[in-house]
Amino acid sequence: MATPVGFFTDTTLCIGCKACEVACKEWNQLPDNPIQFRDSYDNTGQLDQRNFRHVRFVEQATSNPDKPIAWSMMSDVCKHCANASCLEVCPTDAIIRTEFDTVYIQQDVCNGCRDCIAACPYGVIGFDSQSGTAKKCTFCYDRLQNNKMPACAQACPTQSIKFGNLADLRKMAADRVQALQAQGVTQARIYGDTEYGGLHAFFLLTDKPEAYALPNAESAVLPGRNDVPGYLAVAVTSVLAAIGGLVAFRRRGERA
Amino acid sequence: MLTEHFVAAPHWEWYILAYFVAAGLSGGTYVIGTMLRLWGDARDLPASRLAFFISWPLLLVCPILLTLDLGQPTRFWHMLIDSRTAGLAFKSWSPMSVGAWALLIYGIFSTVMFVVALGETRSTPALLSRVSKVAGTLAGRVVMVVGALFALFVSAYTGVLLAVSNQPVWSDTWTLGGLFLASGLSGASALVLLMSRRRPEAAETDEKLLEADRYFIILELVLIALFFVTLGGVLSRVLSGGWLVLWLVVLAGTVVPLLVHWRPAWRQRISRNLGPILVLLGVLALRAVVIFSPQS
Amino acid sequence: MTNHWRDIKNADLILINGANPAEAHPVGFQWFVQAKLDPQRGPGAGGGAKIIHADPRFTRTSALADIYARIRTGTDVAYFGGLINYVLQNNLHHESYVTNYTNASFLVKKEYGFTDGLFSGYDPKARKYNTASWGYQIDDAASVAYNAAHPPAGGAVATLAKRDLTLQDPQTVFQLMKQHYSRYTPEMVSRITGIPQDQFLRIAKLVGEMGQPNKVMTIVYAVGLTHHTTGGELIRSGAVLQLLLGNMGRPGGGMNAERGHANIQGNTDHAISWEILPGYLQIPAPQRKTIDEYVAAQAPKKLDPQSWNFFGTNYKKFMVSLLKGWYGDAATKDNDFAFNFIPKPGQNSSWMSIYDQSLKGKMQGLILSGMTATSIGPDSNRVMEALANLKWLVVMDALPTTSSEFWRRPGASPASIQTEVFMVPTTHWIEKDGSFTNSGRWAQWKEQVLPPQGQARHDHWILADLFQRVKTLYRQQGGKFPDPIIALTLKYQDPAKPQLDEIAQEINGFDLTTGKRMSSFANLKDDGTTTAGDWIYTGSYPDSGNLMKRTDGIQDVKTNDPTGMGFFPKWAWSWPLNRRVLYNRASADLEGKPWDQTRPGITWNGSKWVGDVPDYPATMKPYTLDPKAWLPFIMTGEGTGRLFSTSMLDGPLPEHYEPVEAPVANPLHPGQSASPVAFLYSGGGSFGAAKDSFGTVADYPYVATSYRLTEHEHYVTQHVPLLVGLQPHPFVEVPEELAKEKGIQTGDRVRVTSKRGKIEVLALVTKRLAASTIDGKKVYTIGIPIHWGFVGVAADQDPSKGANWLANALTPFVGDANAYTPEFKAFLVDLKKI
Ligand SMILES: Nc1nc2c(c(=O)[nH]1)N[C@H]1C(S)=C(S)[C@@H](COP(=O)(O)OP(=O)(O)OC[C@H]3O[C@@H](n4cnc5c(=O)[nH]c(N)nc54)[C@H](O)[C@@H]3O)O[C@H]1N2
Ligand SMILES: Nc1nc2c(c(=O)[nH]1)N[C@H]1C(S)=C(S)[C@@H](COP(=O)(O)OP(=O)(O)OC[C@H]3O[C@@H](n4cnc5c(=O)[nH]c(N)nc54)[C@H](O)[C@@H]3O)O[C@H]1N2
Ligand code: SF4
Ligand code: SF4
Ligand code: SF4
Ligand code: SF4
Ligand code: SF4
Ligand SMILES: [Mo]
Repeated sequence: MATPVGFFTDTTLCIGCKACEVACKEWNQLPDNPIQFRDSYDNTGQLDQRNFRHVRFVEQATSNPDKPIAWSMMSDVCKHCANASCLEVCPTDAIIRTEFDTVYIQQDVCNGCRDCIAACPYGVIGFDSQSGTAKKCTFCYDRLQNNKMPACAQACPTQSIKFGNLADLRKMAADRVQALQAQGVTQARIYGDTEYGGLHAFFLLTDKPEAYALPNAESAVLPGRNDVPGYLAVAVTSVLAAIGGLVAFRRRGERA
Repeated sequence: MLTEHFVAAPHWEWYILAYFVAAGLSGGTYVIGTMLRLWGDARDLPASRLAFFISWPLLLVCPILLTLDLGQPTRFWHMLIDSRTAGLAFKSWSPMSVGAWALLIYGIFSTVMFVVALGETRSTPALLSRVSKVAGTLAGRVVMVVGALFALFVSAYTGVLLAVSNQPVWSDTWTLGGLFLASGLSGASALVLLMSRRRPEAAETDEKLLEADRYFIILELVLIALFFVTLGGVLSRVLSGGWLVLWLVVLAGTVVPLLVHWRPAWRQRISRNLGPILVLLGVLALRAVVIFSPQS
Repeated sequence: MTNHWRDIKNADLILINGANPAEAHPVGFQWFVQAKLDPQRGPGAGGGAKIIHADPRFTRTSALADIYARIRTGTDVAYFGGLINYVLQNNLHHESYVTNYTNASFLVKKEYGFTDGLFSGYDPKARKYNTASWGYQIDDAASVAYNAAHPPAGGAVATLAKRDLTLQDPQTVFQLMKQHYSRYTPEMVSRITGIPQDQFLRIAKLVGEMGQPNKVMTIVYAVGLTHHTTGGELIRSGAVLQLLLGNMGRPGGGMNAERGHANIQGNTDHAISWEILPGYLQIPAPQRKTIDEYVAAQAPKKLDPQSWNFFGTNYKKFMVSLLKGWYGDAATKDNDFAFNFIPKPGQNSSWMSIYDQSLKGKMQGLILSGMTATSIGPDSNRVMEALANLKWLVVMDALPTTSSEFWRRPGASPASIQTEVFMVPTTHWIEKDGSFTNSGRWAQWKEQVLPPQGQARHDHWILADLFQRVKTLYRQQGGKFPDPIIALTLKYQDPAKPQLDEIAQEINGFDLTTGKRMSSFANLKDDGTTTAGDWIYTGSYPDSGNLMKRTDGIQDVKTNDPTGMGFFPKWAWSWPLNRRVLYNRASADLEGKPWDQTRPGITWNGSKWVGDVPDYPATMKPYTLDPKAWLPFIMTGEGTGRLFSTSMLDGPLPEHYEPVEAPVANPLHPGQSASPVAFLYSGGGSFGAAKDSFGTVADYPYVATSYRLTEHEHYVTQHVPLLVGLQPHPFVEVPEELAKEKGIQTGDRVRVTSKRGKIEVLALVTKRLAASTIDGKKVYTIGIPIHWGFVGVAADQDPSKGANWLANALTPFVGDANAYTPEFKAFLVDLKKI
């Protein structure tokens, strides 16, 4: 197996230029977005089958007179979770973990059941009605196999998206947080060191994860958490229902 | 602590709703058919047969609905067989995977019981009636009960399937499997009741079915209550606006039949069909509101 | 740029004024980010460079800045003036640099003056200054002696100015400047710009620190400064500040224009403007009869014995070499090297004049190539009427534009427009090779990416073919003055299909005695034995090959960037002579040591200058060893940087004037609110004089500014569905508070009107715009992106077909006094929900 790779996306360096979105669309030949005006500079809206990258714009007022607005931009993408909800539920094994430790949907296996969409906690996957399959960031599997870096990271002018060996990136991220903290950016933090066993695409944020539409540590839970309780409830109900059936169906027999 | 969700909806819509209803009722009727044979007497046999007769066609539409809902219907078999390795595709922790297998296996049992029931009717070829005799044996009973376990699963797992996700509402409660089962059994009783209007010999069991339905409804109401309680803050998601109408239908499909069953006096005054029909509408409404409201 | 893109990483402080690099130059913005991330950079103890963004709008650049200052559009002279005043009042300037490397010590004529907003010499009728009084006091005796001892080369006679190196004489530039900017108090800055005083002082403190030799600041600007009637002075005010702080010529410093289209720098270098010839040689005025008269008038005069006056000294060589390149054998010593073959415009022929002349009925036809007149504006409705007043219009473009389609725009009646429009399909730049010169003056060769589509032909082939046909007609039929056409050399293998490689060689120039290509403009001659199509590019394509093709870059940083300063001398080629930082002699002190050892530009190593390609004779000793050595700014007559300029048309010291449409009267001199010399057009047809279409704040209460968005490249990307998807629909940005007042919400349709026209688009309500307090008054700014019109994917799909989507329907038809650039960035509008 090749060494695990990852993305470290440093939102403090993102200028919202969407070069990553465009590069991804070009490389993966994704369809254009429809002409739809939304309520900010973000007309892409979300990650889906058309958009494997999505630059989120988070605008907040601050009390700093020299920086009255915090306009944070974050290039969102599939997190390639170590414990991936999508991979967990996929019934066809269309979703695999590649030799680069990334999460990949095999288009020729997927049958379009959409269970992965229901499962992904980050709303990453979209259903492509053209191909009838689920689609999301491939981590440029085809490029990695040919020793090329992912298109989005290559296009990013400010290196807000850093691509590389996962372990190196984690180290780099920790250093960056430390540097920012030292400069007084006390809100600087990493998202994705621990969530879902460690995200392969992790982020440097300057606010709570919820502000970037990311579930916080407590909320980042796997779908499988409901497996046992769900079946247990079924079992108990079954027993109670059986008792009900026994009472209802048996009694008349006795009377007879 | 409830999970904060930032997810996309899978767009499970009408096919899935229809499938959930069909699976719930098919499994439910199979279970009722089995219970009548296990615990009832000879007079309940027609009703039991009726239950198995209903169960089978409902089962048949299940894979069709499921397949139609797929983006790539011709790859339905990928649910069962790994298209890369040609090995089995089975993941015990994925309700969809388990469900697909359960449906397949349950389908065998359901078919067997359909054949058995068919063989028990007067005008069947000799071969069939001989097969039917086996049903009475211990081995036959074992098969029937194992089938019922799968039937219970098929009727219930759709709720677990929803729960094993990260969608709001669905994944915030552990009650859905039980709830769908209770409602499926209630709906199954109602369906047998309705169908027995055309088969007088099966009407013998009506009272029993009504009673069973009462228990199932009570179970269902308890589970609805638990469902609401477990949802906590997300409750508004299922209770808001237009969804209330569907809940009213659910209410009508549970509380009204319950009251009517309880008060024979009222029962005289209204159509015998009303109760079962309301129950069935409730079954549909319950699944509709659970499936659609979180995705909207 | 005096410096270059990569050099921004060397700065401690980055002032961004009138530019939005994160959106308009996102790739270049990586160097701002690198400076921020470098712990060695920054004011005080370092820890990363600081970015200060002054902009009327909080943009994607502001998002990454450390300080965002909400400045009212058109008021940066007040901002820089305030900083200059702060630096002078607190003695924070770089003293040695200012004394020795700037013209601070030069004595200005006693007649020079400034009262009530007017400099001396104003002629209100002509709306022009007689700039004679803005000169230096000349030491006649010294000049005569000097000229006797040093016979003038190339017609440039020395006129030596008086200096006082103590800077105490009240007529020194230094004292005059101090007095001039004393009016720019923090309070006044705040009244004019709207930047709160306390914030201004925080900025001033950081800027003031940059006068220390171990600190350096860069100023980055773009069309947020140029698109004003005061554009030239807006930029100069930044340059003056940089000179005071000793930041010119130094890595990490400079006055850096982020240019436009990928090759707009190459465009100006090669004289796309009417008033210059290639290499910034002036276009001759009609009264210049001989080349010597022309050189005497145009070449900078030597003003100090220690000034090399390189440009002035070599002006004639450059001009003769250019003429020789163009006219070959027809250019002889006897005919003044065909000097009289080149056109000598008798009047302003700048960009807006084209349309002004057309409205007056003085034009027959127009060829637009790679340019969308109608969308560019200003005052698009006026421009469209001007186009309708032509007999014919040729649009050379790869795609339909609002100019090629103007006659059938929504609401127009094609039957009433008699202009015959020809669409000539050209290749797009992506379909040809050739060079791009970026903002940092780096000429980089690109390869053809796509083959030409359909019947498209290269622009240079179309023009060459057209020229051959015109030439044939002149040959056959004669004409008033056929010589300039017939004698023009086109020494290409196929004169109808020149290769860009051949043109690049022609631009570089040849030594006609050897037939070899020139390697430096220092060897150009005025005797007709050398050619240079553009002298500043001489050396780009020497005999060794096309240096613009070089790509020795970050593959091997150690070898390719030996100084570690990011010069990468073997990556492409930058003019002049592959120099990466202009005026780099000023990066070293009097002894030849870098002002900051950690950031050397060039260094005297005991026998020569090393580091960057020196902007100086390579072996000329530093001043401590050779007190007579040339002064550092070799291109100016002074030999120094100019705090006080004698060559601007609107004033020797930058002064704040309001835009022609302003929300307040100029707080400095209400009687002379706007620039007294802003260029006005007289108009014609149904459009009267342009000044009659200027609105007032009573009718148009809001300030508006126009700008770009990352997602689009002007008008051309309206044809690219992928980009249209990212920014689909035209909109205006409205401050939240104003939107509340007007009941406007994001997504509502609004009408924005100026005295000239209207647009009807969607509103985007935002906190990023807000009210400012200007001279005690609450002033709102509305933001208007420029990218939409009635051509393109979005317009095609819209029910309105893009009617009223042209931002430039709103902008005023008025030009800067020096450059005639339109005032796109400041005008008055009204806003209504529809
Ligand atoms: N994405 C994209 N990039 C481009 C282009 C494009 O069309 N799209 N065009 C290219 C071209 S041709 C050019 S010329 C450059 C232009 O590059 P820029 O000059 O950076 O672009 P603009 O958006 O026109 O204006 C810059 C900023 O000036 C601000 N501004 C307006 N008036 C003033 C003022 O008086 N003072 C100050 N301090 N700020 C002011 C505006 O709010 C705006 O944010 O961009 C080039 N790059
Ligand atoms: N209000 C307002 N108005 C402005 C500005 C502003 O900030 N505010 N900015 C101004 C500025 S700085 C600029 S530069 C202009 C930009 O205005 P334009 O230069 O007109 O804008 P583009 O869309 O870049 O137009 C270039 C055209 O060239 C074509 N083209 C591309 N390559 C080639 C080629 O190789 N050959 C030929 N023949 N055509 C080619 C394209 O198809 C396109 O139609 O707008 C100006 N107008
Ligand atoms: S982010 Fe979603 S799609 Fe990506 S690996 Fe994790 S669960 Fe799967
Ligand atoms: S849609 Fe495809 S990838 Fe997703 S769970 Fe179903 S089969 Fe797997
Ligand atoms: S890794 Fe590839 S597929 Fe994923 S977002 Fe980047 S460019 Fe798109
Ligand atoms: S390319 Fe980089 S800077 Fe641009 S939006 Fe994407 S992540 Fe941000
Ligand atoms: S569009 Fe081209 S020129 Fe402009 S920033 Fe991007 S790469 Fe540079
Ligand atoms: Mo431009």
